[in-house]
Amino acid sequence: MYTLLFVVFEILPPFMQNPSLPARKSFAPLLLTLCLASIIDLGAGWLLRQPHLTQPARILIAFLPVPANLVLVALIVGTIRKLDEFLRHVHLEAAAIGFLLTGLAVFVYGYLQRASALPPLNVGIVWLFMVLFYGIGYVIAARHYR
Amino acid sequence: MKNRLRVLRAEKNWSQAQLAENVGVSRQAIIAIENGKYDPGLPLAFKLARSFGKSLEEVFIWNEPKTG
Repeated sequence: MYTLLFVVFEILPPFMQNPSLPARKSFAPLLLTLCLASIIDLGAGWLLRQPHLTQPARILIAFLPVPANLVLVALIVGTIRKLDEFLRHVHLEAAAIGFLLTGLAVFVYGYLQRASALPPLNVGIVWLFMVLFYGIGYVIAARHYR
Repeated sequence: MKNRLRVLRAEKNWSQAQLAENVGVSRQAIIAIENGKYDPGLPLAFKLARSFGKSLEEVFIWNEPKTG
C-alpha cells in the first residue's frame, strides 16, 4: 500500500514532467517488486485460510511476505535518495505528519477502547492509519510549497 | 531569501520544465523556489546560478534579518 501511494504521489508526477530525473530508473524495479510482493502477500493470506496446516507451517507462511517486502523497503529508500532535495523535503514533512497523526489516532483509539466504545485494535487498522495520514501529510506539504 | 529566478528564466525564454531539466530537479522544485516557498541548498543554488551564467549573488538575494 505504501509503495502504491509512493508511486502515485511521488514517482509518477515528476516522472511525467521531467523524464530525465534519476528517480525514473527506480520506477520499473519498484513496480515489479510491488507486483511480486503483492502476489506473495495474497498467496500467504490464502494459505493461512487453509484449515489443514500445522501451527509451525502457519508461522513459516506468516513470514513468507517478509523478504519481498524488505526488498520493497530498500527500493523505496533508494528511490527517495535519488529524488531532488525539494521532493525529499516534501516527503520528510509527509512522513512526519503521517507518523504523528498515526500516533494520535492510535492514542485516541486506545482511550475509546477503554471507554468500551470500540472493539480491540486490529493491527491492520494501524496500517490503514499510516497510509491515510501519510497521504494527508503529502497533500498538506505539497500545498504548502506550491 | 529572495531570488530572480523567474526574471532570469523569462530572459532566457525557458519554461519551468526546461530549467528543471537543466539542473536535474522536478518542476515542483522550480515552482516552489520561484514562489519563494522553498530556499534551495547550496549545490542546487549554484547549479541554478550557473545555468544562467550568473554568480550566486546575482540570482539569490539574502535579506539580512532586522535586529534590535
